[in-house]
Amino acid sequence: MLKKTILLIAVLLTSVSAQQNTDKTPEQLGLEHLTDYLNLKPSDISFRPDYTEPDSFRLQVVSDLMTQPLGMIDYIDKLKNSYVKKQPELMAGYLFQDLNKAGNTGRTQAYYADISEIQQMYNLYYLNSSLNQLLTKAAMYIDVIFPKSIDKSLALLSKQEKEFLINEFKELLVSRVEDEFLSVEAMDSLEKVEEGYIEEFVKFGHKIDKDPILDAGINCLKELSVEIYNLRQQLRSKSVTAEKIISDVPFMPDNISFESYLGKQTGWRIGGTGNDYYSGDYKFILDFGGDDIYDLEYDPDNPHGVIIIDLSGNDSYRSQSDFTLGSGCLSVGILLDYAGNDRYDAKSFSIGSGFFGMGILYDAEGSDRYNGDTHVQGAGSFGLGLLIDEDGRDIYDAALYSQGFGFIEGYGAIFDIKGADSYYAGGKYKDILRYDDHYLSLSQGFGYGLRPYASGGIGAIVDIEGNDSYYSDIFAQAASYWWSLGVIYDSSGNDYYNCFQYGQGCGTHMTLGALIDDYGNDVYFGKGLMHGVGHDYSCGLILDRHGNDTYTAYDLSQGAGSANGTGVLIDNEGDDRYSVHSTKNTQGYGNPRRDFGSIGLFIDLGGKDQYQGLGKDNYYWKTNSKWGGGMDIELNPPDSTEEKK
Amino acid sequence: MKKVNIFILSFLLFSVSLSAQSALQKQVDSLFVIASSGELKYRDLVDPAIEKIAELGTPAVPLLVNKLDTKSARERLTIINILKKIGSDAVPYLITSLQNPNGLIVQRVCWALGDIKDSSAVQPLIAIINHPRWHVRDQAIGALGDIGDKIADDAVISGFADDIGQVRKAAAVSAGKLKILESLSLLIHQLGDDFYGARMSAFESILKFDTSFVIEKLTDSITSDNRFVSALSCELLGRFATDRAIDLLYDHIDSPNLYLREKASLALTAADPKDLCGFRNVILQNVTDRLSLLKIESLINSYDDQEKPDR
Repeated sequence: MLKKTILLIAVLLTSVSAQQNTDKTPEQLGLEHLTDYLNLKPSDISFRPDYTEPDSFRLQVVSDLMTQPLGMIDYIDKLKNSYVKKQPELMAGYLFQDLNKAGNTGRTQAYYADISEIQQMYNLYYLNSSLNQLLTKAAMYIDVIFPKSIDKSLALLSKQEKEFLINEFKELLVSRVEDEFLSVEAMDSLEKVEEGYIEEFVKFGHKIDKDPILDAGINCLKELSVEIYNLRQQLRSKSVTAEKIISDVPFMPDNISFESYLGKQTGWRIGGTGNDYYSGDYKFILDFGGDDIYDLEYDPDNPHGVIIIDLSGNDSYRSQSDFTLGSGCLSVGILLDYAGNDRYDAKSFSIGSGFFGMGILYDAEGSDRYNGDTHVQGAGSFGLGLLIDEDGRDIYDAALYSQGFGFIEGYGAIFDIKGADSYYAGGKYKDILRYDDHYLSLSQGFGYGLRPYASGGIGAIVDIEGNDSYYSDIFAQAASYWWSLGVIYDSSGNDYYNCFQYGQGCGTHMTLGALIDDYGNDVYFGKGLMHGVGHDYSCGLILDRHGNDTYTAYDLSQGAGSANGTGVLIDNEGDDRYSVHSTKNTQGYGNPRRDFGSIGLFIDLGGKDQYQGLGKDNYYWKTNSKWGGGMDIELNPPDSTEEKK
Repeated sequence: MKKVNIFILSFLLFSVSLSAQSALQKQVDSLFVIASSGELKYRDLVDPAIEKIAELGTPAVPLLVNKLDTKSARERLTIINILKKIGSDAVPYLITSLQNPNGLIVQRVCWALGDIKDSSAVQPLIAIINHPRWHVRDQAIGALGDIGDKIADDAVISGFADDIGQVRKAAAVSAGKLKILESLSLLIHQLGDDFYGARMSAFESILKFDTSFVIEKLTDSITSDNRFVSALSCELLGRFATDRAIDLLYDHIDSPNLYLREKASLALTAADPKDLCGFRNVILQNVTDRLSLLKIESLINSYDDQEKPDR
């Protein structure tokens, strides 16, 4: 009896253990296996929060992930799963959760407005109830909730401190092409001035509570989505036409002021189905169709909410100033375009830019083109900048701090759901520190903080379908700098990633970067600090789950840890090709700093692979470094009986 | 009248001294801008500027220490580099700076003292190894190892008990540099440290000790319950590769503990890369696990590759 019981327990334990093993993902198994081979363990990849004095801008998510950087894989899986089609408000709400500051126990809500606060202000002009509902909601947010919420966010700041935000603080993100010609003294002086700005800012920046204005933006998006849906349903059902909605108005006396009529006040316009032209600093535009042109301006000295809704047509949106096109500067900017092949030509701080506020650009259909300079195309600083494009072959072009860029207390993200897209970032502002022929990008899933003054934010690109191309130069593509997180998740398609340095799963200086590509035969190309590299207490990770992939780099890449950082490359399946120029610091390499080593892990779990470098197909290796190595194994070997058949 | 003259003279001397100091400060500041410049196009100017500041010698030291709380990593490295170049002349002022209330400055001064390697800094460094800031403890113990004076043995050993992994790492590194025999058991114990930096540094330090002495100490640790102690002990024996080490490893290549069997087999393969003892077949027969076998075959192949002239 006793024997039977012991046997039963043994069987149960074995089955539990087997279950636990099968529950693990290939990458988890690979990590456990290689670290064990190197006398390490996955939890060795962990960083203390106190290498330097923690600042008050650190995000909880970043702080948590620094203690267990491999959690980035789970974080990214949850991020892409959080996307729900045609509901941008859900995505915004999800990202807002990740903007919680470390140690913060509660989030402050938006200003709560009573409906009477708006009903007292306006008379109804249009007769259509759906339209009136939409206008009422929009007015409530633009006139009451946004201004009072930003007041709440900045309540503890003096007038001078508020002005600092749109002047000196903005300067920290603005570059000039001419800087490359400055003398060493002038350059030093410029650096000192910027340092002065930073030191000034950190004295009061902690008093900013971005939550109320972001909460207001998300609530607005939720409420507008319902009203827009109702209006579009009416139009789709053909129970009413756009022309009828616009023209169906009561008789108005000649001498009446339109200022008190909803939809007719200054800064508001409602356009019909024809080709319309909008020019100026608007608060609200609803356009029912046509190929429209928008020449838009914004004055940050007089911040206000902006809501633009365009229901159809091939539209052209053009910035006449910074802070336009789905840009929230000290407020909320929402641009919703439901159809057409559109073109967005912006200056800076535009196209899904949240700068002490929330900016969202949602484009539901069409092949679109996005152009901008700095802090554009999903960029957040003390705020949320979100660009969602659900369909079409899209082109994204920017210079700096763009395309999923998160600065201090910011989240910047692009969600592109369908289409073969191309992303380009760089080519304008030279990286004078390192090169005379390369340009800074700091974009494409890039988190950035001000070392060592202020932790950074989260930058992400999530691209679901299509053969996509990512081009950049220095610092880009799932990378970050100083207590930040940079992420790219690309679900399917044969993708091409090209970045010169610091990219494709790279963290430099106490920070995190992770690139995950699920399906497709992908190409990863770069010079150095690529393909899973962590420098200075940082972790960079690249994980490619399927497909026959090609990785090319020059040095310090492909699972390389530097200065006590950790670099991880994992490729789960496929016949891959790995090429490096230098075998001294690649493919599972770690170098010493502070009298101890770093960690470099190179893991290939299947396929017939080719190597130019230290690795080999079906092979384990330890590099002559502190400390690193690699393995190329068949995690799930082919069934030999099947092979014989 | 005489008193007045003395007063005037003193005042003039004081003014001259102040003015000289101010001139020195200006000189250091202006050179330092260039010395710490990171821009590519000014890189040729950096080394000469560093040399010029270093040539100023002792008078420049307080000015450099004052800058040690810089937020810039490049500036910090530049200062340490200059202090190192000034060398022993900088040490007296650096020692007094160990009492600086700013812990950040103290940890960086420790670093500089370790680089300069002047034994007069040993006692002052020992005096701060219980500093409340772990960064200072880390740097102070590290500096003691760099200086290499055996007076510091006990102070270094005390670091093994620190709560902070980085400090234990510093103790392991310095114990290796100072070859502190009394620390050997602690180093072997630290092979199982939770912090990889401490664990792997202990491994590297043990390699520096007298081989025969270490091997006897490792006899029991091969079968330690802590898998890292067991695995790294095997690896150490493989590196030592003496007859005794090989015997010890051979005893475990058919261990019922498959983990130990694999680690001992790998270490034995490493100990005898040319298979002079003829153990390889036995090892390969004993290993049943597919991936364990691949690890051993990979190791063998790596040695074979080294033999090839084109590799």
